[in-house]
This record gives sequence, C-alpha cells and structure tokens, in this order.
Amino acid sequence: MNLVFKALADPTRRRVLELLRKRPMTAGELSDHFPVSKPTMSAHFAVLREADLVDVQKSGKTLIYRLKLTVLEEALLGFAGTFGMLAGTGGKPSTLKRGTTS
Amino acid sequence: MKRLTPNIVFAIMILAGALAFKYAQRIGLIGPDPDGRAVQVIIGLTLVFFANAIPKKLGRWRNAEAAKRAQSASRVAGWSFTLSGLAYSGLWAFAPLPVADTVSTAAVASAVVVTFVYTVWCCTGRTGGETAPISADNP
Repeated sequence: MNLVFKALADPTRRRVLELLRKRPMTAGELSDHFPVSKPTMSAHFAVLREADLVDVQKSGKTLIYRLKLTVLEEALLGFAGTFGMLAGTGGKPSTLKRGTTS
Repeated sequence: MKRLTPNIVFAIMILAGALAFKYAQRIGLIGPDPDGRAVQVIIGLTLVFFANAIPKKLGRWRNAEAAKRAQSASRVAGWSFTLSGLAYSGLWAFAPLPVADTVSTAAVASAVVVTFVYTVWCCTGRTGGETAPISADNP
C-alpha cells in the first residue's frame, strides 16, 4: 500500500492514470501530454508499474499501458487529486529523474 | 495453484471466522443475533472485497478498442458492486429490518442490472470517440 501512496503522491503520475482512464495508451502517446523528457516519463511509468497500478503489454516495438486500479485505489486517486489541488501541487510537473523512485 | 492460494486462504478465514463467532456466542462474549444482521453485514463486506478487485483482473487483449471496452466494463462493474455492497452492509447494520431486507436486495439487483446493461452496451454499440489506433506507427 505504501507503494500506491508513493505513486499517487506525484501529480504527473496521477495525470497519467487519469489519461489511462479514457483508454489504453502507448508510452509515446502518454509522454506527449507532458513537457518532460522520455527518460523522466520512463521513471514515472516504472513507479506506476512497481505499485501495480498500470499494466503494460508489448505489441511489436510498442509498449501499451492500461489502467490496473482497484475501486479503492481509484477512490484514493480521486482524493489525492483533490488534496493535491488544495495543496497547490495539482498541475505542477514533477522533476523525477530516471532511476529515482521518489 | 499459485492463483488459487489467496482464495483458499480467504475460504479458511471465512470458516475460522464463523467458528470463532459461534464459540464467542457459546461462552457468552456476544449475544445472540436472531435477525441475522451480523451475517448480512459480513455478506455485504464480502461483496465489497471481491468487487473492489474486479477492475484489477485484466486479461490479454486483441486490439485497442477491445481493451478500452473491457476496461470500461470492468470499472463500471467494480464500482457498482462495491457501492451496492457498502449499501447492503450499511442497511443491514443500521436500517429497520423490513427496509434493510427490501432495499439491500434492490441495491444488489441494481448493480447486477447496471453491470449487465453497460457491458452489453459497451460490447455491442459504441465505437470511435476517444479511441485511437494503437500501432507501431503511433508509439
């Protein structure tokens, strides 16, 4: 559960999960929504995978991500988004570097 | 076997809980439950437990549209059964018996109908919208 809280603590990762609510997306499609480098996005994806919040399937050379949230985790995502916005961090992109998990 | 283990553990926990409940009644730790409210609350919470995990059970998918539809259907199923399970438990815990009896059944029946109708609608009609083709050309 600690991994889930850590994953949901970051606004970029929350935004990734919100995008995946609509439909499964490739890593490239997801990255296009954020003004950060691909290695940074890869690190975010790794955190989400580690927390078991997304599922990844390989199709040729393409990695396709889809949502893998329980109802409770989705509710937590909603709460985290609300409190993130209240704390003024709702839209701030994070500066996570590749290889870090915070 | 690895996939069955959590379910076997859960079944053992249910049996152990029932035995503990019976034993606690016998030695007078808890009073009788003539209306069966406690059992109904536990049934509702069991529904919540399993419904919560529905959206997490993912199979392999054939294409983007199928994956999108399966994801939508499983999320609706998960939410509707979780909420109906909470309503079921809450009603049996706090509502008058006739109300709990009728409304709790209606809550679960509603979840069944919502899930069934949405799944059929999802699998038969809707296309396009937010769905973009996922291919190696669109990485």
